Amino acid sequence: MTARLVLLALLPIIAGYALVQRRRLHAIIGMAVFSLLLASVFFLAHAPDVAITEAAIGAALVTFVYVLAIRKTGRLTVAASEAPNLLQREADRITGLEWEILERLAESMGLDLVANFVSHENVAGAVLRGDADIGAGGIVSADCSDRLLQTPEHLPTARFILTGPRADTRLAEATSFCGFTTDVVDAVRRRAPVSTCLDLARFLAVSRLNLEPYDVHRQDEPLSYTFLVSPSRTDLHWRLLSVLAWLRETGELDEIVRRHFP
Amino acid sequence: MRRAPIGLILAGFGLTAAFCVVVLLGFGFSAPQGAGVERSPDVDRWIEVARQTGAVNVVSAIYLDARLFDTLLEVLVFAVAVLGVRFYLTARGRAEPVESIPESSVVRVAANILLPLILLVGIYITVHGHISPGGGFSGGVIAGSGLLLAAIALGTDAVAARFSRRLSDRLEWGALLGILLVAAVPILFGRAPLSNLLPAGIPGRIGSGGSILLYNGLIGLKVFIGSWVIVRHFVDHRGDI
Repeated sequence: MTARLVLLALLPIIAGYALVQRRRLHAIIGMAVFSLLLASVFFLAHAPDVAITEAAIGAALVTFVYVLAIRKTGRLTVAASEAPNLLQREADRITGLEWEILERLAESMGLDLVANFVSHENVAGAVLRGDADIGAGGIVSADCSDRLLQTPEHLPTARFILTGPRADTRLAEATSFCGFTTDVVDAVRRRAPVSTCLDLARFLAVSRLNLEPYDVHRQDEPLSYTFLVSPSRTDLHWRLLSVLAWLRETGELDEIVRRHFP
Repeated sequence: MRRAPIGLILAGFGLTAAFCVVVLLGFGFSAPQGAGVERSPDVDRWIEVARQTGAVNVVSAIYLDARLFDTLLEVLVFAVAVLGVRFYLTARGRAEPVESIPESSVVRVAANILLPLILLVGIYITVHGHISPGGGFSGGVIAGSGLLLAAIALGTDAVAARFSRRLSDRLEWGALLGILLVAAVPILFGRAPLSNLLPAGIPGRIGSGGSILLYNGLIGLKVFIGSWVIVRHFVDHRGDI
């Protein structure tokens, strides 16, 4: 009697838990637990046949069907810092090396890829807050905090410190890129004072302009680009790693790199 | 991610809470307690039915003997559901298989260990339907969801390799035909169709309960193969489950 009352009282609590979950997988697990509790209630009410059917269908089969369904739907949100040839807006679409890799990831997970463009220094924050699933766009692994999951070196890069003309040479501050790429390109075009640290992709885009009045200093340490994933999304991190491994194994990664950086 | 509207959540909470209060009042407090059950006059009749079939599980004695006609139509409902999936997916034409990235080795190893156990539990629940709770429907669903688990974790190709396409198609309809045959055969012996042909045996043994064991086995096979056929058709015609 007491056991049955406790189980019955637990049912609405578990139902509420399943109802308010933000992540769909948690909601599905909540529903599976609800089914198991309901099966126990049936069992205690002397209906073992119904209990077995409830456990088999409610807790197992329906859960699997829901897991299959959410594998194939939903969005993958990217906090993107615009970077030439890596992740850039071109007319009404987005192109670039990192975007192609992310498209492969989204395709393998059956998700729609959505990009929110933010300034470079806000990418990590957006991923940490859970506003985005992945951070991308010319992010140099050495710049990132350890609080975020990163991907291993899929693409090497280098850092270039660009200062001039008449700008305060505050090199100590310019250890990582901040703001938007377009601002830097505009500033260089106008010959405005600039003091920033550019990664390889951004430097290549800027170097097409006349860099004569500027002072360029290349840092020698070997660096690489990375994607950022929130530490709570180990599943997504693992998916991304396996997509990268897959692309590297089939040689497709080299081909994508060649296409964007001939 | 979009948040669910707060009104919907509150309405859901309200409805669930109201439902639970009703259940607590009506079912939790006044439910019969074991020995103190107030017996309806029908109970003795059903227990007598179960005694005649030799099945210990009264529920299976009812739905596979006394009310077999209802159960046959239920099996037909499942067969028509499978037929519907086949019909509409075949109309879509074949799809190129989607190359899936393998799951982590933890998932794959766990699925490999779990699959035989789940199938075993499914078979046990199916063939013990006349002795203990369960039966062909729940046993078949358990074994079928084990296959679905394996298809998610190991990839459908790995599961499909263990199944002959022709054999599963034949078994799916063969099981249904078998159920109808077992139901019709008593006519040949001058008895009413759907009546129990086999001897009752000693209650509690596997070989008891007359035709109930036969029906349970065939229904379990039908549900198991049917769920696999559904999965396979989704893979064939949509590329992935």
